[in-house]
Amino acid sequence: MNKMETKQRSWAEPYKIKMVELVHMTSFAERKKALIDAGYNTFLLRSKQVYIDLLTDSGTSAMSDRQWAGMMLGDESYAGSENFYHLEKAVRTYYGYKYVIPAHQGRGAENILSQILIKPGDIIPGNMYFTTTRLHQELAGGKFVDIVIDEAHDSFNEHPFKGNVDLKKLEKLIHEHGSKKIPYVCIATSVNMAGGQPISLKNLKELRELTKKHKIRIIHDMTRVAENAYFIKQREKGYKSKSVREIILEICSLTDGATMSAKKDALVNIGGFLAVNEKKIYEEASNLVVVYEGLHTYGGLAGRDMEAMAIGITESVDDDHVRARVGQVEYLGKLLRTMKVPIVLPIGGHGIFLEAKKFLPHLKQTQFPAQALAAAIYLDSGVRSMERGIVSAGRNAETGDHYYPALELVRLTVPRRVYTQAHMDVVAESVYEVFKNRKKITGLKMIYEPKYLRFFQAKFKPL
Amino acid sequence: MQFKTIFEPFRIKSVEPIPLSTKPEREEYLRQAHFNPFLLKSDQVLIDFLTDSGTSAMSSHQWAAMMQADESYAGARSWTNFENAVRDLTSMPHILPTHQGRAAERILYGHLGGDEKYFFSNTHFDTTRANIEFSGAKAIDLPVQEAKNFSSDYPFKGNIDVEKLSKWINDVGAENVAAVILTVTNNSGGGQPVSMANAIATSKLCKSHNIVFVLDACRIAENSFFVQKNEVEYKNHSYFSIAQEMCTLADACIMSAKKDALVNMGGFLALRNKALADACTQLLIITEGYTTYGGLSGRDMEAVAVGLKEVFDADYLKYRIQSTTYLGNALKKLGVPVLFPIGGHAVYIESDKLYPHIPINEYPGQALVCSLYRAGGIRSVEVGSVMFGKYDERGVLIPAEMELVRLAIPRRVYTQSHIDYVVEVFEQIVSTRKEAKGFRITHEPKFLRHFTAHFEELS
Repeated sequence: MNKMETKQRSWAEPYKIKMVELVHMTSFAERKKALIDAGYNTFLLRSKQVYIDLLTDSGTSAMSDRQWAGMMLGDESYAGSENFYHLEKAVRTYYGYKYVIPAHQGRGAENILSQILIKPGDIIPGNMYFTTTRLHQELAGGKFVDIVIDEAHDSFNEHPFKGNVDLKKLEKLIHEHGSKKIPYVCIATSVNMAGGQPISLKNLKELRELTKKHKIRIIHDMTRVAENAYFIKQREKGYKSKSVREIILEICSLTDGATMSAKKDALVNIGGFLAVNEKKIYEEASNLVVVYEGLHTYGGLAGRDMEAMAIGITESVDDDHVRARVGQVEYLGKLLRTMKVPIVLPIGGHGIFLEAKKFLPHLKQTQFPAQALAAAIYLDSGVRSMERGIVSAGRNAETGDHYYPALELVRLTVPRRVYTQAHMDVVAESVYEVFKNRKKITGLKMIYEPKYLRFFQAKFKPL
Repeated sequence: MQFKTIFEPFRIKSVEPIPLSTKPEREEYLRQAHFNPFLLKSDQVLIDFLTDSGTSAMSSHQWAAMMQADESYAGARSWTNFENAVRDLTSMPHILPTHQGRAAERILYGHLGGDEKYFFSNTHFDTTRANIEFSGAKAIDLPVQEAKNFSSDYPFKGNIDVEKLSKWINDVGAENVAAVILTVTNNSGGGQPVSMANAIATSKLCKSHNIVFVLDACRIAENSFFVQKNEVEYKNHSYFSIAQEMCTLADACIMSAKKDALVNMGGFLALRNKALADACTQLLIITEGYTTYGGLSGRDMEAVAVGLKEVFDADYLKYRIQSTTYLGNALKKLGVPVLFPIGGHAVYIESDKLYPHIPINEYPGQALVCSLYRAGGIRSVEVGSVMFGKYDERGVLIPAEMELVRLAIPRRVYTQSHIDYVVEVFEQIVSTRKEAKGFRITHEPKFLRHFTAHFEELS
């Protein structure tokens, strides 16, 4: 349970610093050159050119001394490593799924699951797309269909659960295609692309009812389940006195299986898993994991990384940990709100999402406003953020045209336990500086475009 | 002066206790594991010779580098260190990090392969073959004739048969050959080295047909040791320069860093051709991770960068090869049919010669693997018809070429007294050899069955 006084305004961390990593300060001229070399894509910057790295919260957490101690207990036996059994126990205890298969990271688990469950022509409904998840569904022959509520696509709508599913949309899909064409519904807890927005337990329960009736599985993309659970505790009726741990178990119990990138909520630098309750899927997956990842008792992970994950899972479900985590993000969000910077509301769990269309109203979406904004923020202060708009959305495979997402965002993602309040102040100051001078920011032209997941490596030039 | 002792060029900085077990306990563990040692828990094992992959003891330098690692998602300095170390070895411009070797294989062979395509190799390893067959292509092994003569002490039994290769290329047509893969050392063929002359000849042949020549470099340091020892022209070359030279012959280099880079996790794909690199990069991002981490943590990339340097140290390599030979010679003295010459990373035993009373379709290798575990808690691996066997259309076993059992020695982990214990266990195995019984498979998956198959002991 949350031991910190609930009236406390500060989000103070339930930990102190044990080891530090020095960061680099850069000059404007150095940043200018670095940005040109990186083709105005923050993904292509080198980390030593970055002062505060808010590119992603994935794999960038500071591990605890216990996790490091666990790393020293790595059992690197090829088969039957002790660390695997610790991981399996942690997943069963805190998430409640029966069978666990480790994977080197989340996309490894997604790949295996998609290959097992999806047949060509299948429909995969989900509460908003995520880049790698959708790609694996498509590569397996499936088609992703968005069934998130409309409010999710409206940045300024303050609906408390913008990750909710619109059950009518799902019913319509089932009616049109038949439940046989829908192997599962993919539900993300804390919807990343919507701005880290949670799904409510009420909605999930209704979804369970509906899917049960039609014999459709729910697969849980659970990478930020702890943050979602914390929002339920804060916002949903009847859950105030429940612990994050209890809420997580309830969420998981309403689903049939999960893919997890442990690089987010489970506080590790590498790792993931696939968890299912059906033995048949488990058996197929343990066969397939050998081809792609590694034997089913290590799945492409060193023993020590499975140990760090087992301990990280335990730490991640602690109320005080999640409170401070979400509290820090909220702190940054509130600062930006007082500065009148347009951000996605309500403030999400893992980052602040800047509304690029509002921020740069003079740019058309085809001029990549979010990409241009991320570049401008880096140039100003060395803060690295990520585009989550038209570049990330990619192209429609059939028409060849861009997808035009309603949300054109820049994500300032806060790594877990890494940065301090003073760092957050710097970020807010820099964003405000760019905001004041926003009229000077020009659009971009894409000069190199890879076929898949183009946002990683695309290059740009200012117009 | 010359000492006979194998001097270990390190001392122990950290230890890991080994839980001991009794014979009846092991009997029970083995039953629970369905007589497949892959399914044993590691704390049920005394001496783990299952694999030398990912089981090395890292050095204090590697641990220190891990502590300094940069876990940034994109452009981490740990990636720069990794990239530099790999480029220094391979001289290839395009370096793709992967979580381990098989991911690099899947990406490259998945791209080059497909129905009707052929891959040729000195011998395909289990995961290599699986990746190739998964893509729909055929994997053909072309080891030199000497590889099958167990009493021959020909020094380069890992060589590929270039004459046969040339004939195959002409038969199937160069355009249908996806790649030629030279694995150094040749693991499935007994950890036998490949000569530089053989690599040069293969490279020339591939060039003349415009075929992609892939070097599987996971044990390239150990291979370099044998090149320096047995190829006169390389007597005065450093191990590192020998490895570098071998890499220059290839168009692509794949490495499971879990072997000769002395790490617990990691691998890479290095390429010369930009178009090929671009195609592979797309697959890398989809299934592995972004281009500057490929599914590895920053610290794992640091450990590879340091390990790739350490492994070429002359004192280390001498210790490594000598200690493998020490076990091989001791077993030979006991009358155990050991594959000769002793390879770099493992000792291979011909199980069908040790257990001539067990027919091949009752898997003598599996019998030996189980006996070793029962008698001494030693975990080894069958490299015979369980791993490579197939069924014909009537469901009759098509056996592998050899019925080997591999004792793979983890790097820098076990001491000479551990090895002496293993030799003692073998004394018992030899004296009770007639009591060993065959096995039947009761459950098997479609791919790579040896990892998860279940067995039953025949009476």
